[in-house]
Amino acid sequence: MVVSKQVHPLDKYVRVDRLPHLWCPGCGIGIVMSAMLRAIGRRIGEGVFKEEDIVVVGGIGCTARMPLYLNFDTVHAIHGRAVPFAVGVKLANPKLKVIVVGGDGDIAGIGGNHLMHAARRNMDITVIMVNNMVYAMTGGQLAPTTPTGLYTTTTPRGNPEKPINVVKLVASLGANYVARASVTHPALIETYVYRALGKEGFTFVEVLSTCPEVFGRHIGIKDAVQLFMELREKVKVKAKPSLNESYYDWESGFVIGEYVDKDDPGYLRMFGLLR
Amino acid sequence: MRREIIIAGRGGQGILLLGHVIGVAAAKFSNYYVTGTESYSAETRGGDSKAEIIVADSAEELGYMKVREADVAVFMYGDQLVKYSRLVKQGAVVFADSTFVTEVPEEGWVLKLAPYTKIAETELGTPRVANMVALGHLVGVTKLLSTEAVEKAIEHVVKKSWVELNKKAFRRGLGLASN
Amino acid sequence: MRAEYVTSNIAIAEGAMASGLKFFAGYPITPTSDILEYLAEELPKRGGVVIQLEDEIASINAVIGASWAGAKAMTATSSPGYSLMVEALSFAIITETPLVVVYVMRAGPSTGVPTRSCQYDVFQVRYGSHGNYELPVLVPWSAQEAFDLTVKAFNVSEMLRVPTVILSDAMLAHTWEKVIIRNPSELKIISRRKPEVPPQEYMPFKPGEDLVPPMACFGDGYKVMVESLTHDERGYYSPTTEVQERMIRRLVEKVRRNSRLIIDYETYFTSSAEYIFFAYGSTARSVYALVKELRREGIRAGLYRPKALWPFDEGGLKKIASEAKRVFVVENNVGLMYKEVAQVLRDKEVISVGIIDLDVPSPDRIKEVISEWL
Ligand SMILES: Cc1ncc(C[n+]2csc(CCOP(=O)(O)OP(=O)(O)O)c2C)c(N)n1
Ligand code: SF4
Ligand SMILES: [Mg+2]
Repeated sequence: MVVSKQVHPLDKYVRVDRLPHLWCPGCGIGIVMSAMLRAIGRRIGEGVFKEEDIVVVGGIGCTARMPLYLNFDTVHAIHGRAVPFAVGVKLANPKLKVIVVGGDGDIAGIGGNHLMHAARRNMDITVIMVNNMVYAMTGGQLAPTTPTGLYTTTTPRGNPEKPINVVKLVASLGANYVARASVTHPALIETYVYRALGKEGFTFVEVLSTCPEVFGRHIGIKDAVQLFMELREKVKVKAKPSLNESYYDWESGFVIGEYVDKDDPGYLRMFGLLR
Repeated sequence: MRREIIIAGRGGQGILLLGHVIGVAAAKFSNYYVTGTESYSAETRGGDSKAEIIVADSAEELGYMKVREADVAVFMYGDQLVKYSRLVKQGAVVFADSTFVTEVPEEGWVLKLAPYTKIAETELGTPRVANMVALGHLVGVTKLLSTEAVEKAIEHVVKKSWVELNKKAFRRGLGLASN
Repeated sequence: MRAEYVTSNIAIAEGAMASGLKFFAGYPITPTSDILEYLAEELPKRGGVVIQLEDEIASINAVIGASWAGAKAMTATSSPGYSLMVEALSFAIITETPLVVVYVMRAGPSTGVPTRSCQYDVFQVRYGSHGNYELPVLVPWSAQEAFDLTVKAFNVSEMLRVPTVILSDAMLAHTWEKVIIRNPSELKIISRRKPEVPPQEYMPFKPGEDLVPPMACFGDGYKVMVESLTHDERGYYSPTTEVQERMIRRLVEKVRRNSRLIIDYETYFTSSAEYIFFAYGSTARSVYALVKELRREGIRAGLYRPKALWPFDEGGLKKIASEAKRVFVVENNVGLMYKEVAQVLRDKEVISVGIIDLDVPSPDRIKEVISEWL
């Protein structure tokens, strides 16, 4: 009897010897990873960059674990500092394709200052922020992206704070590409990441994601499918939404789409590093 | 050989530039080892300004970076002369701008007085090069540095459009020594 | 080779460029900003990149990234900025990233007197970050030595794949001196060892005989995993006591076993000295002047001056101090390295001469303190 081993088409980009991964059943991060890899694969296929020139940098968090499973030059940096690490990589060797993946806390909380300044500089890196609206890795604490009123382990009476609208923030700073996606619409994640990877300057994709394990549990939706459906109901797709539609609120839901798509010169060009 | 030099005056008198030219002339355009420190008060004009330079034949001789017993001193203003006279040793050669320094205490110094600022103002057209007149006087009397080394240092340090005037002032100062 | 009249800060910048610096990131802070300013002017002329980032945290993280992208990289800061850098420093240690940090001490605590000098941070520089590690720290006492030790810092860092610190102070930063600036061809410049095996066989954290792993960089085709978690030879997270112990011991041992590459000292009049002075950095200049003075007075004094503060040179100190009657540890703080010296010279009378001076303790003040012991 011949047993043929099935090979997933994305396996070539994965350190398969490190599987299984650590993400919980029903976690949205895996959806982001495969969509991202498909987008990367398409860009490699087009010859936009080479596989060995890709560097994926994560900070710390469930999302930031992704580089551990990727078969590129990868980095598991420290919490919040993936963006400046990536900036150093890009400036030291502009031919590298530098991608940052991180959670909402990693990128917009502790790393928020770096995000702002990388966007302001139109630094030539791509940042993919998986927004599960919570600090998942540490067990479900409040994130700067947790919508008002929701329960987390550190807001047991409901979140009294207003969340940060990262899309609007990054857009306001002049980034070349800003999109919001959702794990409920994987094909769009792929499209947006694909677009982001083809542009110069700072490109940013927020991906709304589900964390049934800690986020869902505390807001009373423990079931992964149910949480996924809940998010899907809240998400409206719009091809080119205006920034006014980027409002960020659990009750009114979320508009996903490409908010900014322009071609200002990136940092490397401004600095004279593109030769 | 090891010489301690102190230069002091008010902010705006070009004290630090004067110190810097000596440092560059000694380190870059002569064969000396040099240590120079500067201090100045927060306000750029009117406050205290002081440069301390130690010149030696070898790096080993330099040691402590600050002046303890100056062999050579330049005082461009009276207040600083009073304030820093304790750092100047007996027998030191002391230069002072008589435009502003009216009284000099009896400290056993070899005194060299000349109205640097007045000379700069009347003969060179601006009080701003009084420091270079003083430098010329210092070099002319002490022979610590060669004229060429100082002129090269001026070219190296001073803004291009000011080089000629500064050199002229320096040479005018050299002339004071032969008087 | 050329002679210049420059401060230690500029000498450090020149030393870095001579060593092949290709990336510098920094954040303005007194009394270090002129390194950033000077390099912003000079380094791009030599094909390098300089960027002022949003803070010191970004600066050192970018420097780590740049190093992994294959560049010799450096940042520079002073005391408060180093406080912000220490978390990332420990990241550089576990990932064995070559880089150089310039640390110009200024008088704290907190904002203190920003423009003025001290030697308060000799422990913070070494132990400020978390984890159990060794960290080479070199201490120049002149602008010339600032240049020379910067070249050495890059060599040590590249050779041992360990972040290396040049510990200067505000006094030196503001002192102009003659410096012989050598060209790269006149210097011994060492760069990180590259892997000799093909990518399939390469393990990014498998050490050579010197305990240092060859380093493949991004874009070299080796698909490296730069891991801040405890990792095995492949760079894979391994939370076991066995791997933890192996990793920690190697990180520490690779520096200790190669400490002869780092440790260096100078002595002055120490043979037959009755009194040995231990001093480092700018303070050693004052002590040197004092020792010469004491010798002129017929007092048998000598100076031992480490050029590397860490790892602490126990052997050299023991040897030099073996015949001495008393050892004075003179520092511009209330007595910090004193503890280290006293511990090494347990059977000697070691006296702490801690003097607080916003510039540098003067020979006269030191003499005043020690005279009762002579
Ligand atoms: C300096 C520092 N502070 C705190 C932590 C603890 N920590 C680890 S992950 C994390 C939050 C992660 O949240 P997020 O970035 O949203 O990632 P997620 O796990 O939700 O994907 C925190 C606070 C840390 N590792 N380092
Ligand atoms: S805790 Fe949440 S975010 Fe983390 S792996 Fe589990 S489901 Fe995913
Ligand atoms: Mg999160």
